[in-house]
Amino acid sequence: MTTQASHNAMSSSTADSASGAWLAYSAGLPVMVGVLAVMFGWHIAVGAKSLPLSTVLNALVQYDPTLFDHMIIRDLRLPRAIIAVLVGAALSVAGALMQGVTRNPLAEPGILGLMAGASFAVVMAIGVFQTVPTVWLPWVAAFGAMVTAVVVWLIAQWAPGGATPLTLTLAGAAITAFLGALISVAHLLNQETFEQLRVWLAGSLSGRRVDVLSVAAPWLCLALGLAMVLSRKVTVLAMGDDVARGLGVRTGWLKVQVLLCVVVLTACSVALAGPLGFVGLVIPHVVRLFIGSDYRWIVPYSALVGAAYLLGVDIIARLALRPQEIATGIMTAMVGAPLFIHLVRQRAS
Amino acid sequence: MTTRLSHFWVMRLPGERLSLRLPVRALVLALVLTLALGSLIAVSLTIGSYDMSLAQVFATLLGDEVSRQMTTVVWEFRFPRTLVAAFVGTMLALSGAALQNVTRNGLADPSLVGISQGAGLAVVALTVIWPDQSSALRPWVAFAGSLVVAALIQGLSWNRRGGSSIRFILMGIGVAAFISAITSALMTYGQIDRAMSALAWLSGSINAAGWSEVRMVAVWCAVLMPPLLILSRSMSALQMGESTAVGLGVRASVIRYALISVAVGLAAIATAAVGPLGFVGLIAPHMARRLARSGVGLHLLLTALIGAFVVTLADLLGRALFAPIQIPAGLVTAIIGVPVFIYLLQRTQAKSAL
Repeated sequence: MTTQASHNAMSSSTADSASGAWLAYSAGLPVMVGVLAVMFGWHIAVGAKSLPLSTVLNALVQYDPTLFDHMIIRDLRLPRAIIAVLVGAALSVAGALMQGVTRNPLAEPGILGLMAGASFAVVMAIGVFQTVPTVWLPWVAAFGAMVTAVVVWLIAQWAPGGATPLTLTLAGAAITAFLGALISVAHLLNQETFEQLRVWLAGSLSGRRVDVLSVAAPWLCLALGLAMVLSRKVTVLAMGDDVARGLGVRTGWLKVQVLLCVVVLTACSVALAGPLGFVGLVIPHVVRLFIGSDYRWIVPYSALVGAAYLLGVDIIARLALRPQEIATGIMTAMVGAPLFIHLVRQRAS
Repeated sequence: MTTRLSHFWVMRLPGERLSLRLPVRALVLALVLTLALGSLIAVSLTIGSYDMSLAQVFATLLGDEVSRQMTTVVWEFRFPRTLVAAFVGTMLALSGAALQNVTRNGLADPSLVGISQGAGLAVVALTVIWPDQSSALRPWVAFAGSLVVAALIQGLSWNRRGGSSIRFILMGIGVAAFISAITSALMTYGQIDRAMSALAWLSGSINAAGWSEVRMVAVWCAVLMPPLLILSRSMSALQMGESTAVGLGVRASVIRYALISVAVGLAAIATAAVGPLGFVGLIAPHMARRLARSGVGLHLLLTALIGAFVVTLADLLGRALFAPIQIPAGLVTAIIGVPVFIYLLQRTQAKSAL
């Protein structure tokens, strides 16, 4: 419980200099937006053919369909950058909310099995119906994520000691292994159908699923808005169920709302980019280092930092082993897994 | 207990100068399991795309040439494959039993704590980077890879208050995720044909096993089994906790490192032969303990038999269920193993809190 105590200490110190902190945090947001914009431009500029930033800017402001460079930017690179921004923001916010509500520093849609559930549901739907209309894709993923979330929670709840970080993580890892094996079996049984899914299942932004983007983006933005609305109550809930109830928060209802929010965020991300592990773990922890424990700030900062982070990771994934491209999900795991290990170590000492 | 076989028979000499507690149930179980394993192997030799009767299989195994085709099918394909499955199951089960004993954690398994993944990464690196040397160096490279990972996890989960067994598991999950990511990245980097052969191997497939694999696992089994038997006496003391074991005259730290080395060795060789097979080392020791109570030595024998049975069965199911498509045995063991893991999680004591 040391992290909890330090959070409380942090929140009391922020209360002392509340107005100053408020000002500093408000000023920080435009700075982060600026950083995000720079990363966005850079992400579009690099690639097999690197383009100068001025061309990128021109293509975005004054699109000229006769120029080949503009076409590359509009049709290939811009959708990928937008997907990176949306998915990075969604996963980070989902991770932040989960960590707040379960008071579990290891909570994250990937570790707790939600991503495996969403992927499994999509794979099964495609296996059974051959093609799934794009409009339904996020909802199929959401259904899978929801069921998995409930199952993982129940397994952890029934274990001796209840839903602790340990039991939740173990249950999530077990369910992920199970669903992963089933996905592999499905892949072997029906290779033609699933060959197209192989890249997606490794967690990749290279699919450029523009059709999915137009379907998932509105829901994703709606869920991000809901997360902002809920953030004040999540701050209270992070102090403990009893405290929250004493302060007049309907904890059960709030948890249902947060679960819905997390499920929609995860499902839209998985539909867009496949399972990208550890993003939701890394970003909220980094944000909390600077911002403290007030979720009204953690949520927007997580969204901005997460978006910039995923853009950066995707740039590395495209550049590191040129001309090959590493799946983005591999890169996020390589960055995130050491942090997971660090958190386990820190929590134990 | 009237209808069920009691766990022990106590035999006393007249005058009670000498008494012996005979674990009769475990002995009977060992016999039953041996017979079951034998019949499973026999049955699995008859099943496949080329149909054979049990009598034909026996005749072929005894050296009579029923038909040239049958000799090829049995001696070149099915028999070595089944033998490798049985050996690998034995090794993984024993590795799991040793790990569970050392960490005093019922959820330990070579694939859960990253040891199999370490071997996997080392072998994939070898296959992708130096494809020419792969077969001879494979067991050594796999052993080195798993040893490094085991040392890493042990080092990471150790702090001033000593190592915590449950942190060992969580750490293993983190390390396994990290290593799997590197393995995947290596496969992106490598050439496609090498990557494809590595991919088949990575899902724990016994398809390609031949006599060279049989020789490898058999030799290493013979090397690693005696130390485990010697250590088994100390294992029973270690079960009661480190301080008790020290009080009983066991050099706990030496025994611990010896046991971990043997466990890592067994898992690494099994992984080098067929790729990572998850959850076998988790299931087998628990099943052996639930079926019959006995001393450590007999428990190891039962564990080994159950491990061999489970993997042979998994391989058989994997190749027969959706024939002609072959499901790697590693996927079958994962699908069987996860529910068992969840069941065990429900029964693990709350003392294992972080």
